[in-house]
Amino acid sequence: MSVVGASWQRMSLTGRILAIAVPILVAVAVLGLLGVVLAGPIVAAFLGDNVPLVRFAAAVGGILVLTIPTAFIVIYMELKVIARMNLRIGPDRVGPFGTAMSVVHGLKFVGKEDFTPTGVDVQVFTMAPVVVFLATVMTMVVIPFAPGLFGLDLNIGVLYLFAISGLTVVGLLMGGWASFNKYSLLGGLRAAAQMVSYEIPLTLSVVGVVLLAGTMSLNQIVLGQSGSFVDWYIWKQPLAFLIFFIAGTAEANRSPFDFSEADQEIVAGFATEYSGMRFGFFFFAEYVNVFVMSALIVTFFVGGWTAPIAWPWPVDLSAVDPLGLGVGLLLLIAIGPVVGTIVCAVPFWLASRFSTLQALVLGFVVFNVLAILAVMGWAFISFDWVVGLAWFFAKTYAFIFVFVWMRGSFPRVRIDQLMGLAWKWLLPAALLNIFVTASAVLILNR
Amino acid sequence: MSFVPGIGLVRGMALTLRRFFEPKATIRYPEVKAPIAPKNRGRLQLLYDEHGALKCETCFQCAQACPIECIDMGGTDTRSRFAVHWGPAETYAERREESALRRSGRTVPDPSSASFAPIDLRQVDEILDAHDHDPRHLIGMLEEIQEAYGFLPVAALKHLSFSTGAWYAMVYGTASYYRQFRFEAPEAAAVHAGAAAGQARAEAPSAARERRPSEAAFLTALDASLGLGAADGPAAGGAGPA
Repeated sequence: MSVVGASWQRMSLTGRILAIAVPILVAVAVLGLLGVVLAGPIVAAFLGDNVPLVRFAAAVGGILVLTIPTAFIVIYMELKVIARMNLRIGPDRVGPFGTAMSVVHGLKFVGKEDFTPTGVDVQVFTMAPVVVFLATVMTMVVIPFAPGLFGLDLNIGVLYLFAISGLTVVGLLMGGWASFNKYSLLGGLRAAAQMVSYEIPLTLSVVGVVLLAGTMSLNQIVLGQSGSFVDWYIWKQPLAFLIFFIAGTAEANRSPFDFSEADQEIVAGFATEYSGMRFGFFFFAEYVNVFVMSALIVTFFVGGWTAPIAWPWPVDLSAVDPLGLGVGLLLLIAIGPVVGTIVCAVPFWLASRFSTLQALVLGFVVFNVLAILAVMGWAFISFDWVVGLAWFFAKTYAFIFVFVWMRGSFPRVRIDQLMGLAWKWLLPAALLNIFVTASAVLILNR
Repeated sequence: MSFVPGIGLVRGMALTLRRFFEPKATIRYPEVKAPIAPKNRGRLQLLYDEHGALKCETCFQCAQACPIECIDMGGTDTRSRFAVHWGPAETYAERREESALRRSGRTVPDPSSASFAPIDLRQVDEILDAHDHDPRHLIGMLEEIQEAYGFLPVAALKHLSFSTGAWYAMVYGTASYYRQFRFEAPEAAAVHAGAAAGQARAEAPSAARERRPSEAAFLTALDASLGLGAADGPAAGGAGPA
């Protein structure tokens, strides 16, 4: 046996994996560095020539990534908030306060068998969840998250929004039709009927806002509400807000209008034949849809990323320039954490209930928390978009809370009541709203 | 209350929001244990449906499952036809065993002393000595015992079984198999049967009924309860007069 073979025999499993992986990693790193050095200027020039394209790709990638924590947070909120309203405490085993519960839910979906029943139209069956998910995610491209932080500032943003979110119906019908199951088809038709009916008041209610703002760009609509909370369109368009909220609840398939999968009553409707991650994507899309609906309500009526009141004591940190320290900055980066940890550890050490090591660990934790808070505060003060993002998410999650709250409170309506509400009440009210708004705009502007 | 349209929605949501902040009923079980007395078994209660009828279907599953035999049920079946009784005693014969009764602190019936009257056993001992305590002479011994006492007292059979080493089941089985053996005094049986059967059955008393007076009394009572009245038992009632 050769020397190489003998040493291979002596190695543990970890050693063997490392012996294979390390050379590969080294080779990849060297090749990557070579590629950067050789092709870097060319790529940089290409990217520089196509800034809109790069920006769009980055936005789409960022939004796709954003959907994952969003869905997890919404699912966690749903579990926890409804549990508290039922006088339970909800998940508290997985992760601190059960925060990893939705991650485990996701892993469960991945681990399940992705079953394809006999007789289904496989391509359509597989594409249906993708269509539903993408229709939801694509609407997020035009949502302005913060000043300057949006995928695209389309001047027909509102039109794009409702056109794309209407594609969800196509996905639901695809799922119901391709399942080769009459109950799935019926469920798909029910869901499609509901969503098509509620698209109309949903869209018409926004027309009032569009008339007031004079634009269909979502970014411009938000800018039109800048100032304080009295400038929000919710005060000028209360009826539209109400209609949009109700229709949005139905559009997102939320209780009390959750007919497409009324969990207690029907077997998942259009999703009856789905399992595994294809089923998971339907619900992933649903929870992202809740986020999108809340974000749209915030954007149209509650001022988007604008703050409700202007901060009365503006702080200007532009005078503080850490780069001016020069070498001192490097020293600060090197010494600061150590000194901070020791300083934070001293009170614990003096308390003498802790050993030196424990005190140091506690000091490290406390210092990290303080440092993170300081950095976040600095970012909040210094950057417009951080403030905007904070307000946007605060408002959006407040509305998500309301959606979950409603799910914890209301019984489901009947399907005929659902349709009657859409066609007999919301649609006339939306038309009335448009009429009144248009008249007011005409009269007051002349 | 409902003057304002939609006020119900607001009140419902206000309720859930109050619940949101109220203390929670959940007990985190493995870490926290509810203060429950060790003797607590919950509350036993029969439930009623919306019409006020008892929901219990007399399935006896609770009686069978009860670990300490405190549930013992009697009632009618679901169609109100039969009076039924079911308890652990019917289900688990081993719970009536002596060791189980002793463990559960109940009185232990002693069938070898309580179920038959004591007699003077000297004659039995003489007969046994004459047969050298040989169980193979069982029929002869039984015949002599019947001659001596007029019938076969249970105490004598027990003593026979004890002395010869033959199983009591074998002694009793032999005694009950042969028609010449009887377990009750003949004069008492005659009085008993005469009183119970009345005048009508005097013509055709079967040999078996003479020999087993208590059985005859039971059968007569059964005839009466089945509405066969003065007829001469099941055979006479069913297939014509004997």
